[in-house]
Amino acid sequence: MIKTKTWVIIICATFAVSAALALIIPSLKTDGTIANVYLDGVCIRSIDLERVKTPYSFTVTSERGENTILVERGRICVQSADCPDRICVDQGWLSGSVSPIVCLPHRLIIRIERRAKSDIDAISQ
Amino acid sequence: MKKLLILTLALLMLAGCAAQHGKTEYSEADVFAMDTFMELRAYSDESVLQGAVELIKSIESRLSVTDENSEIFKLNSGQNDSVSHETAELLKTALSICASTNGALDVTIYPVVRAWGFTTGSYRVPGADELRELLGLVDHSKVGINGDSVVLPHGMMIDLGSIAKGYTGDEVAAYLKENGVSSALLNLGGNIHAVGSKPDGSAWKIAIRDPLGGGLLGSVSVTDKAVVTSGGYERYFEQDGKKYWHIIDPSTGMPADSGLLSVTVIGENGALCDGLSTALFVMGLDGSAEYWKTHTGFEAVFLTSGGRIYVTEGLVGNFTPLGDHASEKASVIYR
Repeated sequence: MIKTKTWVIIICATFAVSAALALIIPSLKTDGTIANVYLDGVCIRSIDLERVKTPYSFTVTSERGENTILVERGRICVQSADCPDRICVDQGWLSGSVSPIVCLPHRLIIRIERRAKSDIDAISQ
Repeated sequence: MKKLLILTLALLMLAGCAAQHGKTEYSEADVFAMDTFMELRAYSDESVLQGAVELIKSIESRLSVTDENSEIFKLNSGQNDSVSHETAELLKTALSICASTNGALDVTIYPVVRAWGFTTGSYRVPGADELRELLGLVDHSKVGINGDSVVLPHGMMIDLGSIAKGYTGDEVAAYLKENGVSSALLNLGGNIHAVGSKPDGSAWKIAIRDPLGGGLLGSVSVTDKAVVTSGGYERYFEQDGKKYWHIIDPSTGMPADSGLLSVTVIGENGALCDGLSTALFVMGLDGSAEYWKTHTGFEAVFLTSGGRIYVTEGLVGNFTPLGDHASEKASVIYR
């Protein structure tokens, strides 16, 4: 039979470990999971990549052209674009903040950062 | 020993629960319809959004001016002289906006728009004689509705394109609310319709595209409102160094040249906002200000060709200039 005192210690220790894990695990992010989409220097959309459940895509249109962006959990890419060189498409998936995806002809940049830069929900046009 | 293990496991699982909080789930659906790309975002489950997509497709099949099986096509080609009750109601709404704007919006403008090539992409500049002749077919006051019967004089054609997306926003919003959705954002080819507010109770922040430079000219915060922008920049062609856009002035048959680059109309009724965004673009700033002072149900943001922003009084404290306009104060149109 284990003594009551030992039980108390075991339970308290387990609580302490649980509490510590609850606090540490969510903040174990690397460089940020917010993908900020900039058009012409203005952040038009901020997406929390960690909260994405099912993949989806959306299109950014400007008078210079269109880029269709694909969003999956933890990563983002330009799926298709009508720019002359398609470099933005060839850059593939972006999941870290080392370097952004850039579509120079359309002045579109996708960057992974720590905080959302845009609180804009939609653009009326 | 077993009891200890079970207890430890139970406590560790609780730790896992504590780490999961505050996730708000939403679903997205998109569809190509009405010659544009539509995105629906709702705080609901997937099946409700799929229902909304089907609703959009059914509206398009009723109203499309190019689909041979649509009610509007059959009306225009003389095959039918009546439409469904829903279409008749929409047509009545459209005609009442035409009447109240003294024809700045005219849903019988289709023969002229078609002559310019905006429907097919084969752009051309019609001659003065051709336009004069076609303008004889443009007169919203000649269209009669009696119940679901429509009287459309020979040669005249109706196109509800200037009001269809706004109407669709109203219908989808109603459908979503009937199905228990209290928070959604619809982007119907650039026509925005906000259903309720965001799940945290805050208003949806909708930005307006700046045709000068392609950025954003400002933003408004809305709950349960449609936000519709019209501007020549949306569809135009160039010939001999001159730009010709798709918003035609029904009184001249030429692209509306009223000194405005874009008009954004905000209100509870999407069909009204859609129709008015075209009408106010044609009317110009002064005409629009007069119209707003004598009518209710909407607010508006104007960008003049000189780059100045004007807002109606109801948007003071709500409209925030952005981008290149961030340091300016919008001029206010008072009642």
